[in-house]
Amino acid sequence: MMKQLFPKQHVMGFVFSMVLSVVALAVLVFDMSYKMGMAILLVTAIAQALVQLLLFMHIGESEDKKTLYTNIIYALFVGVVTILGTLFTMIWGYQML
Amino acid sequence: MKIDESLPLEYSTEENRLKILGFWIFLGAEIALFSTLFAVYFTLHNGHGNGPSAEELFKITPVMIETVLLLTSSFTIGLGIHAMRLGLKKAMMTFFVITLVLGLGFLGTEIYEFVEYIHEGATIQTSAFTSSLMTLLGTHGAHVTFGLFWGTAILIQVAKRGLTPETANKSFIFSLYWHFLDVVWIFIFSFVYLKGMM
Repeated sequence: MMKQLFPKQHVMGFVFSMVLSVVALAVLVFDMSYKMGMAILLVTAIAQALVQLLLFMHIGESEDKKTLYTNIIYALFVGVVTILGTLFTMIWGYQML
Repeated sequence: MKIDESLPLEYSTEENRLKILGFWIFLGAEIALFSTLFAVYFTLHNGHGNGPSAEELFKITPVMIETVLLLTSSFTIGLGIHAMRLGLKKAMMTFFVITLVLGLGFLGTEIYEFVEYIHEGATIQTSAFTSSLMTLLGTHGAHVTFGLFWGTAILIQVAKRGLTPETANKSFIFSLYWHFLDVVWIFIFSFVYLKGMM
């Protein structure tokens, strides 16, 4: 019964996301450059988002999966352009001058 | 209504399948919404004026408590959906109740954190930093609050009507919403809190 209610995949996904959160804490514990810290945070955050999307949200399981992937990738593109575009016009653009 | 027995209940009718698709499109819009709030925060986070800076304001303990609570709740709602697919109504409801309790714990910790901020002289009007921070955190917190009411309403329906194609569909869509809030929190945890304390 317990085995049935706690599928291995989900338990592994949960353990993995906890481990990633602890790894992200390394940016506070160890003295490192800003670039190195940001790189660690980007990798751990994106990995965690993928665990949720692929494992817990079952994005790839239905016949609509192509539509779902297209929609989410497009939304992420809009999000990245919004964030990087804002930073470019409001901050980085001035520093380069 | 044509019910396809080979699929999980929540997908078993054409309408159900389209509702799930529609909800994913809504989540796409939510990604755009949170991106604008992150963009504002990343632009303004250094503008703390006479108020506290990120480094002075953030404390790791409540943030870690919030992260663990929300990550665990995301796991338990996943188990709830898994139990639902096995047709185990009682187990499914138990996991959903645990999820909502963890969500309530998250919200309580976040409210405590906000009260602390205000005591330290950081209100939403203090600086560009606190305005953009509290708008971002508040929007996420409002989503969690809404989710608690939504999840409770769904639990009542499942208790009354059992696992039908409709209630299973609603429960699954709610689980998508909950996982999405967890994803947004991961980015707040990483790029607001940890980056701010780095």
